[in-house]
Amino acid sequence: MLELRLVQGSLLKKVLEAIKDLVNDANFDCSATGFSLQAMDSSHVALVALLLRSEGFEHYRCDRNLSMGMNLNNMSKMLKCAGNDDIITIKADDGSDTVTFMFESPTQDKIADFEMKLMDIDSEHLGIPEAEYHAIVRMPSSEFARICKDLSSIGDTVVISVTKEGVKFSTRGDIGTANIVCRQNTTVDKPEEATVIDMNEPVSLTFALRYMNSFTKATPLSNTVTISLSSELPVVVEYKIAEMGYVRFYLAPKIEEDEDDAKPQ
Amino acid sequence: MGIKGLTKLLADNAPKAMKEQKFESYFGRKIAIDASMSIYQFLIVVGRVGTEMLTNEAGEVTSHLQGMFTRTIRLLEAGIKPVYVFDGQPPEMKKQELAKRYEKRADATGDLEEAMKTGNKEDIEKFSKRTVKVTKQHNDDCKRLLKLMGVPVIEAPSEAEAQCAALCKSGKVYAVASEDMDSLTFGAPRFLRHLMDPSSRKVPVMEFEISKILEELNLTMDQFIDLCILSGCDYCDSIRGIGGQTALKLIRQHGSIENILENINRERYQIPDDWPYQEARQLFKEPEVYTDAEQDEIKWAAPDEEGLITFLVNENGFNSDRVTKAIEKIKAAKNKSSQGRLEAFFKPVANPTVPIKRKESKCVLRSPKPATKDKMLFSLQASTSSRSRIIGNLSLPILDLGSKHSMSLSRGVCFGT
Repeated sequence: MLELRLVQGSLLKKVLEAIKDLVNDANFDCSATGFSLQAMDSSHVALVALLLRSEGFEHYRCDRNLSMGMNLNNMSKMLKCAGNDDIITIKADDGSDTVTFMFESPTQDKIADFEMKLMDIDSEHLGIPEAEYHAIVRMPSSEFARICKDLSSIGDTVVISVTKEGVKFSTRGDIGTANIVCRQNTTVDKPEEATVIDMNEPVSLTFALRYMNSFTKATPLSNTVTISLSSELPVVVEYKIAEMGYVRFYLAPKIEEDEDDAKPQ
Repeated sequence: MGIKGLTKLLADNAPKAMKEQKFESYFGRKIAIDASMSIYQFLIVVGRVGTEMLTNEAGEVTSHLQGMFTRTIRLLEAGIKPVYVFDGQPPEMKKQELAKRYEKRADATGDLEEAMKTGNKEDIEKFSKRTVKVTKQHNDDCKRLLKLMGVPVIEAPSEAEAQCAALCKSGKVYAVASEDMDSLTFGAPRFLRHLMDPSSRKVPVMEFEISKILEELNLTMDQFIDLCILSGCDYCDSIRGIGGQTALKLIRQHGSIENILENINRERYQIPDDWPYQEARQLFKEPEVYTDAEQDEIKWAAPDEEGLITFLVNENGFNSDRVTKAIEKIKAAKNKSSQGRLEAFFKPVANPTVPIKRKESKCVLRSPKPATKDKMLFSLQASTSSRSRIIGNLSLPILDLGSKHSMSLSRGVCFGT
C-alpha cells in the first residue's frame, strides 16, 4: 500500500518534464526515506537520480520498500492533465499492476483519477559513492541553460575548465569556436544570481552537449544549478528541489583517444 | 549449423540467462563479430530477388559489400566498436559436415535449375537461397572494405567462433556477436544474437551469459559441452532419438557422456559406430586460437576516404554520393566513440526494493490488517531512523508523516484508503 500526497503538484510535473527525454522507462522506488528514482539513458552514458524526501509530502505512506516501473512518457501525458495548482496524490495497492494519480483542484471542487498501467522493468542500479570533487560551481540555472544552448549551435562537445579565474565553457565546430567565461560573482542583490566557485584543484573535462542540453530541461525546478567536477569522475549537475530533495544528472566524460589513430586527414 | 535446438532448450530451462537488450545499450562496447556468418546473411538478404543479386558492371556480386558497409556503419553510429573475425582452416572434424553442406548445395543447384524451367517462383526463391555460398573472394572483398573503413579484422587460425570466444574470455572484447550458438559452447562469457539484424526488423538484441546459463542449468562447463555434443553439433553425429531435452535429462542424471554410454539402453538408442565425441569435446575445450601474446593490439582507425571511393565507387559501381555521405557518418561516429560509459565509474549494486507489480503471486506473510489502526498509527520520528523499523516489520502498516515536530495532527488527514 502506497499513498503520497503532494500539495505542490506542479513539482512532479516539472520533474517529469526534466527527465522524460533522457529516460524512457524507469522504476520509481518508494521507501521511508522518500520517493526516488535512478535510471540511465539507453546508451548508459548519463544517469538521473531523483529524490523527493518523505517530509516534503503532506501525507506519506509506504508500508514497505517498493518499486514501480513506469513509462515516463505515459506518466508525463497523465501529469499534463493536472492543473499547475492541483494537489497530486500517487496511490498504489500491493500486488496491483496499476498506479493511480489523483488530481484535486485547490478549491476541492474537481477531483480527477488517472490510472496508469505499470511495467516490469529490469534495470540496473548503480552504486554512486560519495566523493570529494575538485571543483564545485554554483550558478544561476537559467545562465547555465543559456550557455549550453548557445554552445550547441556551434559544436557537439563542451570543455568545462575551472581555474581560479572562473569557469570556462568552450566548444569548437565547423564554423568556428566559442568560449564563455563566468567569473565568481557574489556581490549580487539576490543570492540566487550569484556565481560561486569552490575549487581545490583546477580541472578540465569534455562532455557531449546533447546530454547537457537535456539536463537543462530541469531549469524550472530551481533558480540555481550546482556543477561538481573531478578529473576521474562523471560530472554531477544538480538541481535542488526546494525543501524536498533534488534531481541530479551524472554524465560520463569524453575520453581522449589513447590510440595513435588520429591519422592526418 | 551450430548446436541443434539450443536456443529453445535455454529458453525453456534457463530463461534468466537470456536477456533482451536494446541495440543502443552496447554503446562504447568492443564486440567481436563472426564475419563469415554475417557475410552469408548478407548474400542471402541484401538485394537478392530470386537468382538476381546486386552486382557491379563486371557482373560480380556486391551484396556482401553493401551489407557489410551499411551494417558496420550502423554499429559505428551506435558507438559500438566492432572487430570482425574471419574463419581460417576448418578443423578436420568439420570436413564431414562441410561435405554434407556441399552436397546439399549441389542438390539445391539441381532443384533450382528444375524450378527455373517450370518457372515456379516460390521454388526459385527457396532453392536459390540454398545455393548461396561464401567464397574466398567474398571474404577478401570484405576484409579489404573493413580495413579501408578503419575497422579491425582478425583472421582466426581455425574456427571464427572459437577465436571470438577467446577474445571475450581474455577481456579484449565485451561480447561476441553471431547467430551461431556454437559460441556459447566455445565458452564465450557473453554472447549476442540479432546484433547484425537490420534495424527495420526491430528485433531486440538477445544477450546470453554463460555463467548464468551454467547456474540455471546447474551444470559445469564440461557438462554443458557434453550437452551440446549430444544435442547435435558440427563436429560429429548425435545419437538418434536424443534431442536437447533428453540430453539435458541424461547429463543431469549421469554427469558425462561416458557415464551416459555406460548406462543408456543401447537397444533403444543406437550409438554411431564411429562416434568421436571425445575429439569434439577437445575441440570445444581447447580450440585452435591465437592467444593474447600472438596477437596485435586491436585498433580502430580513421577511414581511408580515397581508398573507399576507389574500391566502392570505381571498382564496384556504388553511388558516389551515398558513399561520400557514409564516410561522413563514419567520421562523425569516430568522434562519438570517445564517450565513456557510466559503468566505468560506478558499479552495479542490488536494488533493495521489491516491485509492487508481481509477475507470479508469491506467498507473503502478513499480519491481519487492522482497518482502524491503519489510520491511527503515526510515526513522528525522523524518517531515516524509522527505516529500520519498517524493514523489520514489513507488513506492519505505518504512516510516516515525516519529522516536523511542529506538524499538527490535523495535517495528517488520511483519505480514501
